[in-house]
Amino acid sequence: MVREFKLPDVGEGVAEGEIVRWLVSEGDEVTEDQPVAEVETDKAVVEVPSPVNGSVKEIRADEGEVVPVGTVIITFAVEGEDGEETTGSADTEEPTASQEQVGEEPADIGDGESDEVETPAGRTFAPPNVRRLARELGVDIASVSGSGPGGRITERDVREAAEGGDETDAEGPKRLDEGLKSATRKAGEDESGGEPASGTADLEAADRERTLAAPATRRLAEEEGIDLNRVPASEERDGEAFVTPEAVREYAEAQRAAQVADAEAVAAEEPSEREEREERVPYRGIRRTIGRQMANSKFTAPHVTHHDTAEVEGLVGTRADLRARAEERGVRLTYVPFVMKALVAALREFPEMNAALDEEAEEIVVKRYYNVGIAVATDAGLMVPVVRNVDEKGILQLASEVNELAQKARERSITREEMQGGTFTITNFGAIGGEYATPIINHPEVAILGLGELAERPVVEDGSVEAAHTLPLSLSIDHRVIDGADAAAFANRVIEYLENPTLLLLE
Amino acid sequence: MVVGDIATGTDVLVIGAGPGGYVAAIRAGQLDLDVTLVEKDAYGGTCLNHGCIPSKALITATGVAHEAGNAEGMGIHADPAIDMGGMMEWKEGVVSQLTGGVEKLCKANGVNLVEGRAEFDGENRARVAHGGDGQGSESIEFEHAIVATGSRPIEIPGFEFDGEHVLSSRDALSLESVPDSLVIVGAGYIGMELAGVFAKLGTDVTVVEMLEEALTGYADDLAKPVVDTMEDLGVEIRLGEAASGWEETGNGMSVTTETEDGEETSYACEKALVAVGRQPVTDTLNLEAIGLEPDEGGFLATDDRARTDLEHVFAVGDVAGEPMLAHKGMKEGQVAAEVIAGEPSALDYQAVPAAVFTEPEIGTVGMTETEAEEAGFEPAVGQMPFRASGRALTTGHTDGFVRVVADAESGFVLGGQIVGPEASELIAEVGLAIELGATLEDVAATIHTHPTLSEAVHEAAENALGHAIHTLNR
Repeated sequence: MVREFKLPDVGEGVAEGEIVRWLVSEGDEVTEDQPVAEVETDKAVVEVPSPVNGSVKEIRADEGEVVPVGTVIITFAVEGEDGEETTGSADTEEPTASQEQVGEEPADIGDGESDEVETPAGRTFAPPNVRRLARELGVDIASVSGSGPGGRITERDVREAAEGGDETDAEGPKRLDEGLKSATRKAGEDESGGEPASGTADLEAADRERTLAAPATRRLAEEEGIDLNRVPASEERDGEAFVTPEAVREYAEAQRAAQVADAEAVAAEEPSEREEREERVPYRGIRRTIGRQMANSKFTAPHVTHHDTAEVEGLVGTRADLRARAEERGVRLTYVPFVMKALVAALREFPEMNAALDEEAEEIVVKRYYNVGIAVATDAGLMVPVVRNVDEKGILQLASEVNELAQKARERSITREEMQGGTFTITNFGAIGGEYATPIINHPEVAILGLGELAERPVVEDGSVEAAHTLPLSLSIDHRVIDGADAAAFANRVIEYLENPTLLLLE
Repeated sequence: MVVGDIATGTDVLVIGAGPGGYVAAIRAGQLDLDVTLVEKDAYGGTCLNHGCIPSKALITATGVAHEAGNAEGMGIHADPAIDMGGMMEWKEGVVSQLTGGVEKLCKANGVNLVEGRAEFDGENRARVAHGGDGQGSESIEFEHAIVATGSRPIEIPGFEFDGEHVLSSRDALSLESVPDSLVIVGAGYIGMELAGVFAKLGTDVTVVEMLEEALTGYADDLAKPVVDTMEDLGVEIRLGEAASGWEETGNGMSVTTETEDGEETSYACEKALVAVGRQPVTDTLNLEAIGLEPDEGGFLATDDRARTDLEHVFAVGDVAGEPMLAHKGMKEGQVAAEVIAGEPSALDYQAVPAAVFTEPEIGTVGMTETEAEEAGFEPAVGQMPFRASGRALTTGHTDGFVRVVADAESGFVLGGQIVGPEASELIAEVGLAIELGATLEDVAATIHTHPTLSEAVHEAAENALGHAIHTLNR
């Protein structure tokens, strides 16, 4: 066969080239990629390599001649072929070296007689759904040979590659790559090869002791929670049971159906009724974060909660007196600012209550400033804005700051800084109703004061039962740092201030 | 009670609501993940607000005006007047409809939307600073993060964007009046698209380009029809000139350029537009806090699952590297969300199409003939000029051609290059052929509607097979 070689289009707008020098003569034997000529364009001198193994039949251009791109400059006789001209690849321009990449052309180019060529550049021809299936089944698609038009890989090719054991090795049609592990390794090699799901062999083997299956099938079984040895085998390989993914799916489906049937038999009500009676809400977002913080606090600090009640007729009267004046100044006055003042007065006397435990440094950090956090229920969950330097502020200022921060928390416009730096926390669950609770400490603080509902309750006075306003208090402490007796003494002092708010004037 | 510095928890934190980010967020929402999408500016990102959509709106609008005014050959005599304010209003309407749509889709798919600028604050924590004074900040704890912060226009020394004299592409798309004259620095696709817009608005446009060619990256035969059209529109294209500085003059400015030989030229103009490329936005993320380092170009390296060096952090879109194309970002966003949800998803596309919305348009996908050769194929190439297309003739736009590149041995379609009317649309057929592993025969055997431009794709495939009817076979 005679192969014509045209001056290649070396790109970049080059239309012609000068044959500087022939490196071969007519009759010379040449090997593929061997340079045969130097060609100069207006940009560079390049070497033109032979595209074939053979001999030089005819040189059709002289040295120094300028030839247009596409002109046949040399012909080769290819060994083992007759002398008949072929139209083969001669009609298309021969790709050869570009200016920058002399002699780097792939070996098969232009060789019309080459053996079946593997797809260049690792390219696989398969539609996206087939490529996805390959990923699902753990098949390296580059190693699958296609049975579709022109060698296109079909869904069936991938499934067969996934299911085929190494029995296909000898014939090899489904296996081009020895390195492919996922789809073709023999199931029995699992133990030594560390393939996934080898553990299934250790499971109870009621039906069989050994089952052959592709790793992808084993993975599927694992995902479905199925023991492969219990799956009815549809095929046999080397005299052993071989399980396919379909068989696993069928078995899993049957198992599920059986479970559903069992559950239905056990349940008294219709499944639809049960569904109506339950709702599964995702445990996520802020709810999950709060949950983690709570668990962290509860299981880090041993909590003890001290309960007591303050009789607060005096406080009720004081607040009633001041409320109208506060409103004149545009401030809504609640009991919380009074509690804050009473709390801070007590904290001055019991500084260990206004502390944090630095576990890493093994130090108790006693704070000489009084930043009180107020837990606020918001649509998004609990937030704790912090009122700073409570000891330096008056009741009205505290009231207005608490209102403002609570509002910001509810609108979620509160900043991180405004929720940091607290030294002690108050939670007012009584605002909703209820008396006592076990507040969880805002770790690493060491105590938290919970307020129950301020309401009229029966109290005993001089041997008779009277109605009086009382405020139930729940004080949780970190028992690692605070002793129970100290907690009681502290609570008593808070109560003293709440019962006699005029004492706060001395502070 | 607890809480203190509370952080909202989320399965997936997506930073940036551009095409990569919002697709990731919506897909994650569809897959039942708890997802939080943080956007500092506007939903839709650069593409919807400052890039693809507004530029295409203006390209279309100015194209309509230009066509109407130049259709004497079709027997139409018109003298269109452009109301720049009205045109901008219409463009804004298009943008707001789309960005509103993105927001609605996010909400409908259960995505938590947070406005603000996010930066990392630890391995699984980010802080979001809300815009404006006193708006504060919040912390978000995440299991997975998807970085989709996009890119911003590159400034060149001496040409800092001021919105008045030196414009970015974003500024240019929001001009309230038509400048009399404009120097565009950069003859890449953004510069050439906007050169067309302003030339059709009546602006005296000069394009200066440091390199020796316009539309670098596109083959000469694709760029040439565009350059020819621009010159017909009166655009002056100066190659091999680097913009070196500018100064204010009495009635505008003067932009100076310099050739490699040091030869200086000055261009008087009302405004200058710098469109020399875009750079990824990774410098605002406090990446040190999470232990990621961008490469020299500022990009985050990712694998075929859109995953960065960190198992739980993904990067999609412009920050994940070239090509900076919205549709590439969308695909990456989708894959990242699916990978996080445990789906067997991967970026295994065969080709990413690209389009330039100049006149005529350019559309490319897959390999060129040279690339196919370099990859080891023996390419079979077929071409169909639009001047041989009946439909092209009836539109009055016959510049350009469709070229299909395939593997000669198997016939598999490997790529296509189109320059001409609707090239941006037509290229999709070639892309589909590549992805499906279609052969030239498949394309040729598919009946195409007559008379349409898509017949040119069919005809190019026939041409590659050597039996084209309407053109001479190669």
